[in-house]
Parts: sequence; structure tokens; C-alpha cells
Amino acid sequence: MILPLLETTGLRVRHHLPHDDGGFRLGAAAPDGVDLAVHPGEVVLLLGPSGCGKSTLALATNGLVPHVVAADVAGTITAGGRDVARTRPPELAGDVAMVFQDPDAQVVTGSVLDEVCFAPENLCRPADEVLARAETALRQVGLWARRADDPATLSGGGRQRLALAAALSAGARTLVLDEPTANLDPAGVEEVYDVLRTLVATGEHGVLLVEHDLDVAADVASRVVVLDDGGRVAAEGPVREVLTGQAKLLDALGVWLPTATLAGLRLRDQGVVVDPLPLTPAELTATLEAADDLPDPAAHADPRRPGPPVLTVDRLTFRRGRTTVLRDVGLAVGRGEFLAVVGANGAGKSTLAQLVAGVLRPRRRAVQGSVAVAGLDPWRADVRDLTAAVGFVFQNPEHQFVTSRVDDELAVGLRARGLPEPEIAARVEDVLDRFGLTPLRDRHPFWLSGGQKRRLSVGTAIVCRPDVLVLDEPTYGQDRERAVELLDLLTALHDDGTTVVVVSHDMQLVAEHATRVVALADGRVVADGSPAVVLGDEALLARAGLRTPPLARATRDVHRHPRWRSVTRLADLPTATAPVEVGA
Amino acid sequence: MSAAVLPAPASTTRTREGRSDLRTYNPLVKILGVVPVMLYVVTTRDVLTPALIGAAAFAVLAAMGRVRPTVLAGVALTAAALVAVMTLSFGLLTDPAAVTGSTLIASIGPVQVWSGALATGLATAVRTVALLMLVLLGGLTTTGADLVRAMTQQLHLPYRIGYAALAAVRFVPRFGHELEVIRGAHRVRGVALSRGPLGAVRRRAGYVVPLLAGGIRHGERVSLAMESRGFGAHPTRTERVRVPFGPRDVVLLLALWGGAAACAALATLL
Repeated sequence: MILPLLETTGLRVRHHLPHDDGGFRLGAAAPDGVDLAVHPGEVVLLLGPSGCGKSTLALATNGLVPHVVAADVAGTITAGGRDVARTRPPELAGDVAMVFQDPDAQVVTGSVLDEVCFAPENLCRPADEVLARAETALRQVGLWARRADDPATLSGGGRQRLALAAALSAGARTLVLDEPTANLDPAGVEEVYDVLRTLVATGEHGVLLVEHDLDVAADVASRVVVLDDGGRVAAEGPVREVLTGQAKLLDALGVWLPTATLAGLRLRDQGVVVDPLPLTPAELTATLEAADDLPDPAAHADPRRPGPPVLTVDRLTFRRGRTTVLRDVGLAVGRGEFLAVVGANGAGKSTLAQLVAGVLRPRRRAVQGSVAVAGLDPWRADVRDLTAAVGFVFQNPEHQFVTSRVDDELAVGLRARGLPEPEIAARVEDVLDRFGLTPLRDRHPFWLSGGQKRRLSVGTAIVCRPDVLVLDEPTYGQDRERAVELLDLLTALHDDGTTVVVVSHDMQLVAEHATRVVALADGRVVADGSPAVVLGDEALLARAGLRTPPLARATRDVHRHPRWRSVTRLADLPTATAPVEVGA
Repeated sequence: MSAAVLPAPASTTRTREGRSDLRTYNPLVKILGVVPVMLYVVTTRDVLTPALIGAAAFAVLAAMGRVRPTVLAGVALTAAALVAVMTLSFGLLTDPAAVTGSTLIASIGPVQVWSGALATGLATAVRTVALLMLVLLGGLTTTGADLVRAMTQQLHLPYRIGYAALAAVRFVPRFGHELEVIRGAHRVRGVALSRGPLGAVRRRAGYVVPLLAGGIRHGERVSLAMESRGFGAHPTRTERVRVPFGPRDVVLLLALWGGAAACAALATLL
């Protein structure tokens, strides 16, 4: 039997949660008693609901937990034949390499080459060997030609490939990847997985992969380990066996399934014979083609016609320094629409959102054209009037917190507008209650959890009852559960009549919730229409640096059932009974 | 760091081509070697000595610095503007009674301009500009990475301090961007409504918490990434790029000091 590259037995971690007085208490155990092994040539996918200890387990594999992040650790971890508990993390760099979620937070030096040389230099390899390793690693990830560039000039996908190269150059055979693509646009995700695939094919490395996006990860992974809420192993085995065989269990745990598998489950509920359950879009296509008779897709459930325009962007061109960020953008959003603005990183979507909401007040020289929100010019209007016209939710909620209590945070915009205190109190109570924040009302906003911060940031915007709610990448860097929770919240607001504009590159989420999609590429509007039309146009999406969402990818190749070719959303799938809850 | 250096595969050894390029000299000479000259400049009281030293430093920068012409022109213009502004403002602020042999040049209303006061202002301005030129001599021709390398290799600064500092410098652009976003966020939340100097202080204070919180989190992440890549595994690390301290660096150092001495001598002769 081949020895595993990485092995944990009975791994149990309890974080030290600091008290104000300098002491600490122990958090709940997560992971709790986990046995796991990674062999050469294998990709082990670690799944579980948020808080189950996936990232903690990843950080424990090279001793960052507990050596850097304080925690009590029980059980054993062996990496490259060494006892991790007895070794300092840097000394394990030659055995276990890590790639983290945030590409920005992994760049240490000023050039691509220096970055890849950093690890072998730290390990005191001779200079010529350092260069040889760096060249091999950079060629493996396709960045050799860019070796002299500043890492900051690479795209997000490029920087994650660089992080992979830096991991490879250390000579480690175990790669641990913690949500490596959560911050990337679809083209970047594809780049990273293409590289990962070729690495795994050599059979040299073993990979432990924490990833929520199973649509990209499922066909790379060989084995799956699923943790439950308590951090214990709930299911384990070959990827297909677990994801399709125990799909119901995973769904109940709040683990996101591949879109194709979810669709297969829905079809089964409709009495269609789906065996085996599909994992990938191609398999779903085959399943659909094999069926002799399919029920008709559900009628589009949103017959509401948009009202008169509440937000208009007229021939907007915007320059930042010498670069033109937006070119001649025209847009009219009707009252009651749920508009998604999609595009690759750097396409100008965030800038457009910030201009529309008056977060960015451009200099006259830098801008041509105009914007109007609910009849106001967001660049010149008084802030007090503006908050009632448009609410803005920032990518990082912490940026917008200005007080030291949750309830003050909600009241601050209302006080600025001079509303009477009883009315302010009533509105604040209403939002606290609706967003489940009442028990946390006297907390400091910075001490909330990630999901709570996100809810509060949406709350601060909608408490002013704006005509339009604009959100900048609200799901960026969040796990799937939080993302779905947020989008459900937005859908509820939209159902109550709020016009929603959301900037995102998460194509399936966009497909599920938006009533209209605008695609930007290089600052230009390249498409504007219903999700079915825009997300079904593969050539156009590719030009915009985007990819067709998985369900649309499966249905566009269906020939026997032409009516199914327009299905892009899980909500389009036929439902005889009540609609099944999507994901978490 | 820019497209201009693309063909260079890897600077394993520093090329000694272009002997007149200030960039190829040891950073310690350029940055620490000028300190004695700077100390001397601070002690001067005349105009001519610092003027000659400043002009010489600028000439060296122009001839050997390989600085882009636009940057060079910017430096020259800034220096000229600095001299003009400081001469006038110091000239008006200096007490004329404290300066001997001063004559009244002009008086506009209550404002009187005395020649002696102006001369004092000019001397101060020229000293400041000379110091600036001496700092730029190293500052414009040295990268942070090279300075850290020289400090670890010649001064035996622990590499963990030097490289951690370099990584920290890379946070700065990120902070700039973050501050811009926070400022926009606070404005649309209606915090910017408080006016006056007190309001401005309150506003800025509000940026500190989110900026620090973001900075600490980013710093923690970077340190996790660095430790994962073996940073701190051993007491030393491979120095792939040597920053030598050779005879030519000694020659430059002596030339800098000699040049400064010559300027001082020349000033007394003139």
C-alpha cells in the first residue's frame, strides 16, 4: 500500500476565543475526530456547512493551527512522514503547500519570479536550484513569460496561478487549497482548475481541496469527505458515490450540490427516470437526451412588467487617470426590476454601481453623460435626499459602518434626515426584527459574524426605504450558504417592490434571481436582456470573460426536447408540487 | 518591475555594465554614505556652500542616475519653487532686528521686506533643497528590495525584519484604495455632514477603525501565507541576488565626500 502524503487521525480542534481581559475560552470542537488521508495523484474534496471546520482543518495540516492561530488540538497529523504537532509551520513548507482564498494577501514580493523563488530561498536551497525550481513551477502554471512583471498587474486568476506556482516551487507534494477560486471571475476559475487538472495528472501531488463550487470541483476530485455541523465526518468515499448516492443527506446538511445533480433530483421528483444522477452539465445533457418523454419546463414565473424608469444612465463615459473605465453606457431600469450587472473583474461594473449611487462623485473633466435616480442627480444631490432615493451595499460591509452599536447603525441615516424619533425607533425595530438582529442590537457592528455583518449592511441601506437598492459584489468571498441567504433576502425585498441592482460575476446565482441581465466588457454594455437570452449566448459571455452557467450549458445541447433549450434556471424546471428550496 | 526589464531573465549577479549607473552601486553608500554630508549641510549658514552641494548632487543624479527626464524636470521645478516660497515666507517671518546689516527693500502696508531677513530665508531654503537632493540621490536610484538586501547582507540585519518590512510596504497601495472606498461609504451614510475643523477631525477618526480592522486582517493573512512558504524556517535564507560592497562602492563613497569637501572649499574661495 502506498503511504499517504497527508494523514489525520482523530483530529479535533477547539479555537481559543479571546476575552477582553487577555484570557480565552474554548470554542466548540470543529473539526471533531476527523480521520482523513490524501494519497499521491488524488484530490480529496472537503465539504461541509459553514462553521464545520473545513478551513481550520486546512490550516492544521501545516501547523498554522495551533502554532500561529491559537487553539487546542487533539489527534495526530502526519505530513510527508513528519509529525506536524512537533514541527514549526515554516519547516513544513517543503512538505505541505497552501493556497488561500484572497489572491492579494499572498503576494510578498515585487516580481513574479521573486515570488516563486521566495519559498526555496527560505528553505536555503542553493541559488541555481532556486532558479531551476522557479522556472519549472512558472512553466507549469503558464506564467514563465510574465516572470519580470509585478504580481499586482496579473489578473485574479493569474495571481492564484502564481500562488500555486509558489506552492510548487517549495517542493511540497501535498497541496492544500482553501477556497482558491472564491474571489475569482469565471474565466479566472477556469484558469486555476485547468492548471490544477494538469498538476494532478502527473500523479506527483496529492491535493486537499476546500471548495464550495462543485460545478467546477466535482470532475477534478477523486474522493469526498463531508463534515456535518458538529465537524464530524458525515460521509466519505469516491466523489460520484457520495455526491449522487447521498445527495439527500448532503442537501439536508446544507452542502451545495452540483447544479446538474440538483436538476437531476428535481427531475426524479417529477417521475423522470434519472439513473445515475448526473454530476456535470454534460451528463445532465445525456440524461435529458435519453429521456423519451419530459414534462414541459415551468412557465417563467415573473410576468410583472417593469414600471416607469426609476434609474437612468445616459451615455455615461468615465475616465480614471488615463484609462477609460466606462464607455458610452446607456441604461434605463424600471421600477420593480431585479437587474444583474455582470462582467469580468475590471470590466467597470463596480465603478458603474458607485457612480449610480453617488458613492463616487466624479470630477467634471473625468465624466461625460449623466445619471438620474428617482429624479435626483446622485453626484450633486444632498446626501440626506440621496439616501431616500438610492441605498448602496458595499462589497466589504465593514467599510460602511460608522457607529458603535447595531441599532445606532440603522438609525444614523434616518437621524441625518431629521425624522422624528418615534418614527426612527419604529423603523429600526422593524429592520432589526426582519433581519434577525434584535438580540444583537447593542453589539459593536465589527463584532458580528460575517453573515450578520452582511445583513446589517443591507439593513442600513433599506431602513431609509430607497427607491433603488444597489449592491456591489455582495457575495464576493462569502460561502455559498451566506450567498444564498443574501440572495433570498434580496428576492424578498424585490417581491415587496424594491428595485434591485446587483453587481456580480456569480453566473448561476444571477441566473436564478435576476429579471434582467446587463453584461459589461471593457466598460461597454455588450448585452442587455432577460437572463435566458443573455446567459444562453455563449460567444457573447466568452467575449465578456464570463462563462455559461452550468444549467444553461447542459440544456443548450439538448436536441430531442427543443423546449428545454431555454431552461437556464433551476426555477424553470417543472414543478408539480411546491417549489423545492434551492441549496441551503 | 516594469516592462523595460522584461528581457533580463534573472539578476543572479548584478551586471557591471554601464559603470556610470548609480543604480548598480550599493544602496548603503547612496543612502547612508550621504548622511555625513547632510549633517555638514545642516551646520552651514551661508548660501553658497549648500547651493554648490545641492547643484552637484543634482548633476550626479542627472548624469548617473538614469532617472527619466520628466522626473528630473519635476525635481528641478520643485526645488526652484521650494526656494522661492521658503525665501519669501522665511524672509517675512524672520525678525529683522536679529539680522545685522539689513536694509529695507520694500514695504507694502504693514508688511516690510528687509534684505537681511530675505538672505536668511534664502540660506534656509537652499539648505533644505540641498538636503532634498542628497536624499534623492539614493532615493530615486534604489529599490526597497535592494536596500533590504544590502542591510541583511552588509549590516547583518535579521532577514525576518527586513523582508517583513518589505511585505508591509506592499500594503500601502491597498490601503490607499481602501481609504478611498471608506471615505465614499461614510459620505453616502451622511457622516460627512458635520462641518468645520472639528467635523473634519471626527470624520477622519471614523475612518481609522475600518481601516485598522482591514489592515490587521490583511496582515494576518499575509503572515500565514509567508509562514506557509517557509519564511522563518532557518536562521538564514538563500540570497539569490547579491548586493556586493566592492572597491567601486568605496570609490563612490570617497568621491561623494570629496565632492562635498571640494564644494565647501570652493565656497570659501569665491
